[in-house]
Amino acid sequence: MDDALTLPLSEVIPGTVLAAPVIDPSGAVLLPAGLSLTAAHLDSLQRRGIASVVVVPAEDPEALAIRRERIRARVMYLFRHTAQEPGSQALLHAVLAFRQEAGK
Amino acid sequence: MTRLQEMVSHVQKLPAMPVVAMEVLQSMSGADTDIDALARRIAQDQAIAARVLRVANSPFYGLQAQVSSIHDAIVVLGLSSVRSLVLAAAVIAGLPAGNCPDFSHTRFWRHVLGVAVAARALARPLKRPPEPLFIAGLLHDIGRLAMMVIYPDELCSVLADAQARDCTLAEAEQRHFGFDHSTAGAELARRWNFPAEIVDALAWHHNPTQGVPGGLAGIVHYADAIAHALDLDEADSDQVPRLDPDTVDALNLDWEALVSVLTETRAGFDSFKPLLG
Repeated sequence: MDDALTLPLSEVIPGTVLAAPVIDPSGAVLLPAGLSLTAAHLDSLQRRGIASVVVVPAEDPEALAIRRERIRARVMYLFRHTAQEPGSQALLHAVLAFRQEAGK
Repeated sequence: MTRLQEMVSHVQKLPAMPVVAMEVLQSMSGADTDIDALARRIAQDQAIAARVLRVANSPFYGLQAQVSSIHDAIVVLGLSSVRSLVLAAAVIAGLPAGNCPDFSHTRFWRHVLGVAVAARALARPLKRPPEPLFIAGLLHDIGRLAMMVIYPDELCSVLADAQARDCTLAEAEQRHFGFDHSTAGAELARRWNFPAEIVDALAWHHNPTQGVPGGLAGIVHYADAIAHALDLDEADSDQVPRLDPDTVDALNLDWEALVSVLTETRAGFDSFKPLLG
C-alpha cells in the first residue's frame, strides 16, 4: 500500500486500521490487514512483544470534507438531467451516501 | 425501404453467434447439464477458456491454489458463474470491433459488465434467478455494436452529436435513425435465437413499461442507471439516464436493499474486471 505508515505500538489508538498483517517472529499471522484494532488487540500485541505495526493513516477532517464534496459534485454532475426526476430520487441519495462512505 | 427495415435486413447478415455461447445458452434451459461435456466444449475455445481462468485466478476470489482447468473453475466458482463468464467472453471475442474516435470498446465492455453485475445484485432483493439477469445486462447494449458494424460512419457522427448536445446516446440515435440501439439489439438477439425474456429485456431497457409486465426490462433499466451512477465505465461526460417512476415503484427497493445492491455491484464489478484485459 502506497500510503501505509509504520507506527510504534505505543502510538496506535483503537479504531486504527491495519495496512499489513501483524506477523510474529515465527512467521505466524497474528492479525490480518484491514482489521480495525480494538484496545484488546493492542493489549494482546503488547504482551506478545510486537514493537510496531503498519497502519492506514487516519485522514484529517479537512481532507475528508474535501473528498466528500468532490464526490458529491461528481454524483450531482452524473444526475445533472435527472436529479429532479421522481424516479431518480432514491437512487441518487443512496448512491451519494454509498460513494461518500466508500470514498470513491 | 425505411431505415428500420434496412437495419433489420443488415442485422440478418451479421455473423452468427459464437457456437460456444449458443451451447451455454442451451445448457441453461436444459434441466440436467452434463458438466464434463460442457467443460470440455469450453476448453476447446482457448481464447474464451483463458479469459475464464484469468477471472477465476484473480485476487478477488482469493483462492489458495491455481485454477488451471475449466472443470476446476466450475467446481470452485459454480456452474452458473462459469456459464456467465463463458457467455461474456464469447460475446466479447465474437463481435468485431468498430472503429470510431468517440467509441471506446473498453468503456463499452466496462459498462455492460457493470450493468450485468448490478442486474445480478438486484436479483436477491427482487427474489429472481440471478443468471438470466446477468446475461440480459451483459447483452443489453449489443445493438450498439451491431449498429457500429452496419452504420460505422453515421454512428460516429451520432456519437459526436450526443456529446455536443449533452444527451444520451439513445436520444441521439432516435433523432438520427428514428430508432435506437435497443431495437437493433432485439433484432440481433432474435437472429441469434436468444430466449424470449432476453429479447424483451434488450428491446425495452429504455422503455420498460412497454415490455412484458414483470419481465427483465425494468430490472435492466434500473441496473443501467446504477452502472452509470457508480461511474463503472469511467467516462468523464457520463450521465445517469432518466428512470421510469412506475418501474421504480414496482421494484419497490428500500434503502437497505439499495445500499446492499450498490455494495455488491461494486465488489462484483471488480471481480469481473480481469475479463476485459
